[in-house]
Order: sequence, then structure tokens, then C-alpha cells
Amino acid sequence: MGRLGETMLDRIYQEKLVLSLISILGFLLLWYAVTDLFGLMPAIILPSPEKVFFTIYEKILVPVGEEKLFGHVGVSLVRILVGTGIALGLAIPLGILMGWYENLDAMASPIIEVLRPIPPIAWIPLAILWFGIGLGSKVFIIAIGVFFPTLINTYLGVKFVEPLLIKAAQTLGAKDKDILWEVIVPASVPLIVAGVRIGVGLGMMCLVAAELVAASSGLGYLIMLGGDDLKPELSITGMILIGILGLIADRMILGIERRVVFWKKE
Amino acid sequence: MPKLKADRISRRMILSFVSVVCAVGIWYILTSVVRVIPPAFLPPPQNIVKDFFRLLANAYVGNTLIGHTLVSLEIVLGGFFLALIIGIPLGILMGWFKKIEAVVDPLFQLLRPIPPLAWIPLSLLWFGIGMKSKIFVIWLSAFVPCVINSYTAIRLTDPLLVKAALGLGVKKQRDLLREVAIPSALPIILGGVRIGLGAAWMTLVAAELLASNAGLGYMMQMARRALEPSVIILGMLIIGILGALMAWGLKALEKRICPWVKEEEH
Amino acid sequence: MNGNRQTDKLVAQNVSVLYEKDETSFLAVDDVSLSIQEGEFVVIVGPSGCGKTTFMNTLAGLVRPAKGKVFMDGEEIAGPSAERGVVFQQFALFPWKTAYENIEFGLKYRGIPKEQRDEIVRKYIRLVKLDGFENSFPHELSGGMKQRVAIARVYANRPQVLLMDEPFGALDAQTRTIMQEDLTEMFMTEKRTVVFITHSVEEAIYLGDRVVIMTARPGKFKKIIRITEEDLVPDRRNLGYDEVVNLKEFRDLKGEIWGLIKAEILEKHIL
Repeated sequence: MGRLGETMLDRIYQEKLVLSLISILGFLLLWYAVTDLFGLMPAIILPSPEKVFFTIYEKILVPVGEEKLFGHVGVSLVRILVGTGIALGLAIPLGILMGWYENLDAMASPIIEVLRPIPPIAWIPLAILWFGIGLGSKVFIIAIGVFFPTLINTYLGVKFVEPLLIKAAQTLGAKDKDILWEVIVPASVPLIVAGVRIGVGLGMMCLVAAELVAASSGLGYLIMLGGDDLKPELSITGMILIGILGLIADRMILGIERRVVFWKKE
Repeated sequence: MPKLKADRISRRMILSFVSVVCAVGIWYILTSVVRVIPPAFLPPPQNIVKDFFRLLANAYVGNTLIGHTLVSLEIVLGGFFLALIIGIPLGILMGWFKKIEAVVDPLFQLLRPIPPLAWIPLSLLWFGIGMKSKIFVIWLSAFVPCVINSYTAIRLTDPLLVKAALGLGVKKQRDLLREVAIPSALPIILGGVRIGLGAAWMTLVAAELLASNAGLGYMMQMARRALEPSVIILGMLIIGILGALMAWGLKALEKRICPWVKEEEH
Repeated sequence: MNGNRQTDKLVAQNVSVLYEKDETSFLAVDDVSLSIQEGEFVVIVGPSGCGKTTFMNTLAGLVRPAKGKVFMDGEEIAGPSAERGVVFQQFALFPWKTAYENIEFGLKYRGIPKEQRDEIVRKYIRLVKLDGFENSFPHELSGGMKQRVAIARVYANRPQVLLMDEPFGALDAQTRTIMQEDLTEMFMTEKRTVVFITHSVEEAIYLGDRVVIMTARPGKFKKIIRITEEDLVPDRRNLGYDEVVNLKEFRDLKGEIWGLIKAEILEKHIL
């Protein structure tokens, strides 16, 4: 496509990009105008953009509470990773076994169906009672959040495996155990990964909730502290970082999904 | 070799029943009979039932069970409906008119990764500790899925249907929107509403845990301080049941509004 | 119709099959009996929905007959087995495995060591003319290629009986002709017992030693034509497809068989 051959698609794309940039810039300008330029909002309610920027800069060097900025990020990261790890380690095998063995399904389903509607956040008071306000309670809540969507999707993935593939494997000499490993598991991977994606999204929300309610470190704690100390720039810092963290996590899983599910034509 | 269907179903029911009975039985034995688990950690099942009746009649931290439930419901439904009223039209407009999308979308995408819960401290700062701050966050959490689903649904309007309508004499954008795009988009929009309700419910619980003086979340938080896990669990179960009921109610509504949609497993 | 259970390869004895779907159930196959010799190529034709696939599933061991029994080598069939390989119409290839890995699949369960497996797989890749595509994934292959992988996969596993359910149904006419010729060639080189289902009368006459014509649902055997035994179409397997199809004997036979099927369709109001 030479310059003259610029397609309509390119032009629409450029137009969108320009409009997007204008929109975001407009937003930032509005924010700046409302806070600094015209002083319409006291700094206690809404800090100006530069204040947020400088806070971020400052807190990278100076600790807030127990940690510096990256320390808080690290703490949150550890929590989400451990919680996700535990949840996946339990949910995926259980989902596969429940999908494959009807008896296990019949036994475990009722208990799961009773626990599932309870929002993970509702578990927080119990978690604090059981684990205190350290790592344990956060990991527990996150694990609950990630567990159920992953379990459901894994289960469905197994149930919806194309029966023809199972028949093909049987007529090629594979026994039940082999079929589970060689056919069921690979075939259900797309749904499993989709479930992980949903689960991790939920897990991030649980992270924030748990850190808001009872923590002394982490990004949620930062957000809470900003509110308590009347320093909204801290809250906004925490919010921005959580947003970025969530985005990165989601993109990473999407990337994994694309590589692992290469054989599914949409 | 597949067994008879009736056999499988009754076997399944028996197994499920036995499983639940066993689970509750073990719970009962470990807490009441053998007393391996202290009641401050995990209450015996009968305590929860006792507390249920106790709280129905007597006030607990300011309100009876029904009182707390109503407070929670009020706030959740308030924020939720506000989200519907604003979010669905906005999503539809964004989906149909490219200009609107170009302006609103980038801002939307920017703010979207931030979990609604993370707005709670800021919201408290802005609106104080009353109902307004909670409604704001709940509104936000339901708003996002409503917009996204409405937007996506409109974008996915079958161009064939639009062409058919144009061919039948429909001329104005407004009419096309009303007669073709919106009806065909209803199933996905309702799906977004369902997601929004779930999100709103979750956010409500978190908001009540953090800053409230009434409601189910507040009740659980107080019960934790008083080391009464039976009330906590009671609260959790009620929240779970309410959430499930609302979801089920929405599903039934969906079937009446969109009878042409096929059943989905999840 | 009752052959000798002891010497026949595959025997179906008064088989009836009930088909259950959701709330309804109906008789798909009604009291059929068939004896298949070793090395014989039997083709089953019939109108849509007549129960051909269901019957084949009982031979494969994937479905248990409501009445009657199926035997292989004198022993009752209890379930699916690698000795009764199936080629499905929808290919049923494992999408996450390459063509090579698909073909290799059954060999592992036969306990064949790695180097030997490699030899066998490559041999069959060559046999179905898929050289150069062994590392491609199913979604990268055309319909004809996918079916060739499916056939190679079963062939490589060396089952004693080959059950093929409209394997060429999803292919275009040209590919189909080539596959039919290839299959005949393979069959002449490595004789197996084959049961083949098709809609196409031409295909049936071209490929089969015997052609079994089924009635509409519930399926019974209307007529069985012994092509090879009675040499109804001389020199059939030595000529190319287009030559055979134009032989007078071929056309007569086709007319006869098609007439029978058409009568079924019209009588039982299937259309």
C-alpha cells in the first residue's frame, strides 16, 4: 500500500487515534483546569494531575507505611500470585475429575453449588477471623475468587469435549485413563484458559477488597490510606497501579490463550 | 456402554443427597460431638439455625435480620437501576454512533481496568460516609458491564437485518436503532445486566464491610469483632441466597423478554 | 443368513438397536443379520436416517444392541477395540496434534517402540500421499487431506477390521474420485476386512465385494448383491474409476440398486 493506496480502513484508524488522543488530552486538561487553574476543587477532594505525578515519584523513594511504592506493588503481586496458584492447583484437577467421573460430580456438586453464590468478598470477615490480617487472609480470599470460575470452566471444558474424539481414541486402542490424559485434557484447554482469565480478573478485585479492609501493606492499603489521611493523591496512585497490574495480567493470559489454543478456529 | 438415563439420574440424586448429609454430619460431629474445632472458629451447624431465628426477632447491632437485609437491598438496587438507566443508553449510543464512541471510549478504556472497589476510599472522601458514597461505587460496578455489553451488542447487529429493514422502507437512524439494532441486541444487553447485578452485589458487600452502620456487610463485620462466626456465616448464606435469587429472577425475566434465545449451559 | 460363527470374521446375529435422544426413542435397526468374511469389502447403502451408522456402531462396539449379538472371530463384542478401527465422516482428528502425531496415536497403545513407530507412520504418510505435510495441524489441511490423515491413522494401527462411515462424504467430487481409487489400491495391496457406508450407489458398486441395501427406518436389509462372487462388473478393480463407471454392467447395476433405494424413499415418504 503506497501513499496513494491508503485504504479507507487506514484513514478511519488514524481518525480514531486522533480523536482518542484529543479526548484523553481533553480529559487531562479538564482535570488540570478544575484543580489547579481555577481551583474549583480543594486538593483534599481532588488533587491536580501534577500532584499525583509527583506523589508517585516521591513514593518510589520514600516509604509509605511499611514499604516504598514498589514494595507495595511487590506485596500485592505476591498475594495475587500465591492465591491464584493455590486456586488453580485445586480447581483445575478437581474440575477435570468432576467432569470425567460422574460419581464425583454427583458428590461434590451440591456442596459447590451452595458455596459458589457467596461472593468471595463476603468471606472476608471469616477469613480475618481465621487467618488474621497477614498474608493468609488475603491469599484465602483471592483463592476463593479464582477458584470457582476456573472450576466451572474446567468442568464445562471436560463435559463439552467432542464425543467423536473420545470415540476415535477408543477405536484406536486407548483405555479410559489414557483418554483422560491424551484427549480430554488437551481438548478442554481452551475453556480452562478462558476460566483462568475470568478467575484472575475476579482475583484482582478480591485482592483490592481484602487489602482495603484489613492490610498494612499493598496497593489496596495505599488506596485506603489515602482516604484515611485525606491524601487522595495516594489513593489515585494506588488505583492507577492496580489498573496497570490488572491490564498486564489480563494481556498476559490472553497471550497464553492465543499460543495454547492455536488450533481453534474462531 | 451407556446405562439407562433414568438409572443415572436417580443414582446421581442419591449420591448428591448422601454427600450433603455426610458433609453436614461431619461438620456437626467435629464441632458438637467431638469438639475438635472450637466454636469461635467454626460454629456448629445448629448455632447458625438458632441465630437465624434469634436475629429474625431481635435486633443485632441496630437492626433485625430483615432490617439489615432491606438496607442492603435498598442500596444495591438503587445503584443498580441507576447504572441501567445511564449505562445501557450510553452503551447503545456508543455502539451506533461512531463519533460518540470515539469520544467516550478512550476515557472508558482508561478507567475500566480500575476495579470499582478501588474507588471506595475516594468515594468516601467525596460523598461522606452515608448512602451516597456506597451508591456511587455500586453504580460504577454495574455501569461498566452494562455499557460494554450494550456497546458490543449494538456493534454486533447483523448487517443483513439492517439491509432488510432499509429495503422495507425504514429510513431514519432513529428508527433503525429502535426497530432493528436494539431488539437484536437485547439478549447480550440483558447478559450485561446480569453481570452488572452480580458486580453490584459484590461491591455492596465490600462497601458495607468498609464503611457502614447498617446492612448485611456491617452485620458480619460486627459479628467478627464480637467473635461470633455463626452470625458471619449466617450473613454469608443470606447474601449468597439473595444473589442467587436475583440472578435467577433476571434469567426468568430474560426468557420472557427474549423468548427467541436458545438455552445456554452457563 | 446365519453364517458359521467360527470362521467368519464379523457376524451380526438378529441385531436390533434402540436409538435414544432426549425424550424420544425409536427403533433404528430392526433384526438384521450379516456375516462378513475375512478380507471382504462390504458396502452398506440406503436412504438417509435408515440406521446405517447405528448398525456400524454396533459392529464397532460403540453401541450395544437392544437385541441380538455381534461377534468377531467367534467372540462377542463387548466394547470398542483397536482391532475394529473406525474412520468417521467428520474426520475426528485431534486438532492439537500434527498429522504425524495423529497417525502415531494408536501405535503407542500397541506398545510399539519409537523407531518402529516412526517407520510405520512415515510409510502410511507416503501411502496416502501426504509427504511434506506430516508436521501440519488439521486446521491447516484441506478436507481431502484431513480425511487422508484419518484413514492413515486407522490403517497404520493395523486393525483386523476397518469400519468406514461415509468417509468421503464431506469431500468434493474430484477429491472423492481420487480417494476411491486410492482406497481400492490400498485394499488390493494390504487386504483387510472392510465395512463401508455410503450414500453413493456408484461408490458402492466401485468399491464393494458385496453391497447391502438397507430399508428406511427402522433399518432392515432389503437386498444383498454379490458383485465379486458373481462377477457382475468384470475387471472392476483393474480399471480407473471413469472407465468402470461407463461399463454397461456397471450402469445396469447402478440402475437396479438406485431403483430399490428410490422405492424405499418414496414408499416410506422420507423426503
